[in-house]
Amino acid sequence: MRRTRTVCPFCGCGCSFYLLSEGERVTGIEPSPSNPVNKGMLCVKGWNAHEFIHSPERLTRPLIRKHGELVESTWDEALKVVAEKLLDIKKQFGPRALGFLSSAKVTNEENYLFMKMARAAFGTNNVDHCARL
Amino acid sequence: MKTLAKKDLVKAINIWADKFEVLSPTKTTNGDCIFDTFQENKFTTDYKKPPLSPKASFFPQTEVIFKVEKNEYREVVAAKKMLLFGIRSCDMMGLLQAASFMSRDKKDVYYNAKRDMAATVVMACPGPQNETCFCTTTLSGPVAKKGFDLQLYDMDNVYLVEVGTPRGEKLLSGIPLADMDDGLAKRQIEEFKQKAVRNIPEVKAVIEAMNKLKDHKADEKVWDSFGQKCITCGGCAFVCPTCTCFNVYDHQSSPGNGLRARTWDACLYGGFTREASGHNPRSSQALRLKRRHEHKLLDFNGIDIQGGLCGCVGCGRCSDYCPVHIGTLEVVKAIAE
Amino acid sequence: MVGLAATFGSGAMTNSINDFDDADMFLVIGSNTTSQHPLIGSRIINAVKRGAKLLLIDPREIQLAEFADLHLRQNIGTDVAVLNGIMNIIIEEGLYDKEFVETRTEGFDQLKEIVGKYPPRVVEKISGVKATDLKKAALMYAKAKKAMLAYAMGITQHTTGVDNVKTCANLAMLTGNLGRPSTGVNPLRGQNNVQGACDMGGLPNVYSGYQPVTDAAVKKKFEDAWGVATLDDKVGLTITDMMMAAQKGELKALYVMGENPLMSDPDTSHIEQALSNLDFLVVQDIFLSETAAKADVVLPAASFAEKDGTYTNTERRVQLSGQAVSPPGLARPDWQIICELSTLAGYTMNYKSPADIMKEINALTPSYAGITYERLERGHGLQWPCINEEHPGTPYLHKDKFSKGKGTFMPCEFKPVAEMPDAEYDFMLTTGRIYYHYHTGTMTRRTSILEREAPAALVEINPEDAKKLGIKNNETVELTSRRGSIRLKAELTKRVPQNVIFSTFHFHEAPVNILTNPAYDPIAKIPEYKGCAVKIRRCA
Repeated sequence: MRRTRTVCPFCGCGCSFYLLSEGERVTGIEPSPSNPVNKGMLCVKGWNAHEFIHSPERLTRPLIRKHGELVESTWDEALKVVAEKLLDIKKQFGPRALGFLSSAKVTNEENYLFMKMARAAFGTNNVDHCARL
Repeated sequence: MKTLAKKDLVKAINIWADKFEVLSPTKTTNGDCIFDTFQENKFTTDYKKPPLSPKASFFPQTEVIFKVEKNEYREVVAAKKMLLFGIRSCDMMGLLQAASFMSRDKKDVYYNAKRDMAATVVMACPGPQNETCFCTTTLSGPVAKKGFDLQLYDMDNVYLVEVGTPRGEKLLSGIPLADMDDGLAKRQIEEFKQKAVRNIPEVKAVIEAMNKLKDHKADEKVWDSFGQKCITCGGCAFVCPTCTCFNVYDHQSSPGNGLRARTWDACLYGGFTREASGHNPRSSQALRLKRRHEHKLLDFNGIDIQGGLCGCVGCGRCSDYCPVHIGTLEVVKAIAE
Repeated sequence: MVGLAATFGSGAMTNSINDFDDADMFLVIGSNTTSQHPLIGSRIINAVKRGAKLLLIDPREIQLAEFADLHLRQNIGTDVAVLNGIMNIIIEEGLYDKEFVETRTEGFDQLKEIVGKYPPRVVEKISGVKATDLKKAALMYAKAKKAMLAYAMGITQHTTGVDNVKTCANLAMLTGNLGRPSTGVNPLRGQNNVQGACDMGGLPNVYSGYQPVTDAAVKKKFEDAWGVATLDDKVGLTITDMMMAAQKGELKALYVMGENPLMSDPDTSHIEQALSNLDFLVVQDIFLSETAAKADVVLPAASFAEKDGTYTNTERRVQLSGQAVSPPGLARPDWQIICELSTLAGYTMNYKSPADIMKEINALTPSYAGITYERLERGHGLQWPCINEEHPGTPYLHKDKFSKGKGTFMPCEFKPVAEMPDAEYDFMLTTGRIYYHYHTGTMTRRTSILEREAPAALVEINPEDAKKLGIKNNETVELTSRRGSIRLKAELTKRVPQNVIFSTFHFHEAPVNILTNPAYDPIAKIPEYKGCAVKIRRCA
C-alpha cells in the first residue's frame, strides 16, 4: 500500500488528496486533512476521481491514420511523422499556419513546455487553450 | 504484565515490519498525519485520527474481485500479512462491527482474506483527539475491550502491553520487554482509563436521539433542513468505519477479456436506491439522510453491534469531514433539541 | 480575465478560498457554486448558516437559492443592466465608499454617468428584476463590511462577457470591497489548471506570467534564455480565430493537447468542418476523445496519477501532485512527449524532470520566481505572486494599491444576447455543467458511480412551458437551433424560469454544442454558451 499526494483533476478548487495504490493499481482516495483548500473533505467527483485512471479505454499506444484508419504505431514513427509534417507545413506556409491548443488539465510544467515548443521550436504565437470555454 | 520502553518502540515496529506490511501514523512533509506504510523517519506517536479508518485496509475503496482472460474466469482474492499499528479503540470497534457484518450470513471472501491476515496493535486513547470524539457515549472507547491482538497504554516512559490474542502473544517474541507487577499494572490501566473517560465527555444527545427515533418522536423537519444543504459527496459513508456498501462495475478491455471490480458506494447518492423503472423509494436527500442515521442509531443488526451502543462508534469523522456539518453529532443534537 | 486585467491590472481571483469563511456577505452571480465548485459552495452555505448574507443573481433556482436572502432571477444575459442598476442605487443613496473611490480609483465620473442611465425601473424592464428587489440588493451589498463577489462561466460565457466582468469589478470598487480579506472579485475557475495554463503563457499574446509577446524587452529576455535568434512579436490566434482560420484554409495544422474542442466548442458542425479542413491534426490525450478520433496522429498521454507536476488552483495556489502509478502501455507524460518532439523538430529540450522545468519557470516568470519544488514539498502550495524564495505568497491581491496603480472604473452599457428568441426559435437555451460530470465527460463518464448518478443528458424545462407543448417528464424531445438539432429527455422542473431551457455538454449522445451560438465576446473571444435561440418539440 502506498499513498501519493495529488491534486484533484476536476474543477478549479484544487482539492488535495492521496491516491492509495497497491503495486500499479490505484485503489482509492484519502483527502489531505491539513490542506487549506479542502481540509480533509471532497465532493462526489473528488471521492471518485481514481476510477477512470484504469479505464480499459485509455490510450496505450501512439496511433497513426493510414488509409483512413487510425492504426497502432510506435513512438519513433509517430513523433517522426508529427515533427516532419509540422516542419513541412511551416516551410511551405509559414509558422502562422500552425496552431497549438494547450490544456487546462495538464501541469504547469507541461503548459510551459508546450508554449515554449510552439514559440521556440515552431516560431508561432498561435497558442491558446480552453479557458475560454 | 509486560512493558515496552518507549525508546524501544521503533525497534519493535522494525521487527514487525520484517514480517508484515506495517501501517502506522506517518507525518508527511506537508504537515498531514495519515496512516501509511511504516517509514522510520516519518513515524510519529503524536497523531490524530486520519480521514480514512482502518476499513480501507480490508475493504479497499476500489478492488478487483475477478478477472476474465480469454473467456476464462478467475477470482482475485488479494491479501497479505499486514499489521495496523496505533489504531484507536473507536476504530477497533468499527473493525469488529464491519467484520461481523462481512462474515455473518454469507462470508465476504475478499474482506475476510485480508482481515484474517492482519494483526492489530491498538494504542489506548488518552483523551479526545479533537472536539468530535464521543466514544465514551457509544461504548467504544477510550480503551478497546476486545478484538485487538495487542493494546498499548502510554505511561510516561513505557508502554504497558496488554495481550488480546494468541497472535498478540506471538507478536511479542523478539521484542525487548520488561515486567511490571500485575497489580500495579492493573491500577495504572484503571487510572489511565478513568482519566481518559473524564476527558471525553458523554454526549447525552446521542441517547436522547436514539430514544426519540425509537419512539417515532423525532421532528421530521430536521431531515429537511439537513437535506437542503447536503452536497451529496458521500464522504460520510466513505470515512465511516462501519459503512460497507459497495457498487460493482465491469471493465471490458476486449472481447473475452476484462475484470469486475467493486467500489465504495453511499446511501446518500440518489442512484443507490433508484430502481430500473426510474422510481426511487428514497426520493429526496432528506429521506436518504434519515435512512442513513436511522440505520446507524436505531436498526443496526444486534449481532453486529459487538458490545457497542449502536452502529456508530463515536469516532466523529462524519462531523470532521462533512463539508456542510451534517455529521452524527450535528444530527443527534438537532433531533434531541 | 481580460475584464479584470483591464480594471485592476491583474486577471485572477483577488482573494482566497479560506476568505469565504469570514465574509459578511456574498454576491454570487453566474456560478452554480455547490455544483461546480462544491467545496467553495459548502463554505458559502456554512457562512450563511452562521449569519452571513447571500445575494444570488442567477436565472436558475440552483441549490444556493435555498440559502439566499435574496435571489434575483434576471433574464438571460442582462447582468450588466442588473449590476448597473445596483450601482445606480448605491450612488443615488450615497452609499458608496467615498474614500476608496477617491484614493484608489479613477473614472468615477464616467461610471456615474453611465450607471445614471439605469434607474431601477429601466432595469426592471430589461432584466425582469423588480425595482424593489433591486433596491434591497443594493442596500445589502453596500452595507456589508466584507462582501465577496464570486462569479463563474455564467457571466463570462456571453458576447458581453468582458463587460460583465468589468461591471462586477466596478461594483466591488465602488463599495471598497477590494484589497482586504474576505472581499474582492473572485472568478471561480472551472478546470483544475485553467489558471496555470494562463499563467504559463498558453495564450496567443503572452509568455509565462503574462509577459507580453509584443514587449521588446520581454522578447529579448526569452530569446536569450531560450537560445533562439528571434521570437515572433506579433500576437497569435485565439482558439476561436484558429478555427476560423482553419475553415478558410489559412491554418494548416493543429496540435491539440488534452482538449476536446469537438465537444466543448460552440456550433460543433462548424468545428468539425474546420478540423476536416486541416492538412494535419495531432491530438495528445488520455482517451480517444471525439476530437482525437478525427486526428492524423494520436499520442497517448499519462493521467494526473501517472506523473509529477504542479497545478494552480482558482485562488492562484500552486500545488504539487505526485506520481502514484506508471502510465498504461506506452503512454507517456505530456512533458516527455513535448521534449522529444521538440528535439526531433530541431529545438533540443533536455529536462530531467518537472522539477527541472520549474527551475526555468522560476527564472523567467517573476510571479512564480519563489515557487520552488523544495518549498512546495514542505507545505500546501504557494499563492502567486511569490517573487522570491523568502516571499510567503499572496493570499489576497491589491492590498494597498492595484497592480496597475489606480483601479479604473470601466462602465459598460447593457447589450442583449446576440441571438434572442423570436417567433420560430422561441426558447432561450442556456448551458452549463451538472454536479456529477465534468467538461466533455471523458473522465467522469468512465466512473461507475458518477455515470450511475447521471447517465443521460437532460433538458430542463419549466412545467408551465412543458404543459403548453404537451411534453411530459422524461419524454424525449428535439431541440433545434439555426445550427443543428439534438434529441434528449426532458426534465420538468421549476429550476428554470419560463421560456428558458437548460442543458449540458457532458454527453456525446446529445452534444448540446451542436446548438450553441459561436458569436463571441469581441475581446475575450469567449463564445455565448449561456444563451441562444432554440425551439423544442416532442418526438413522436
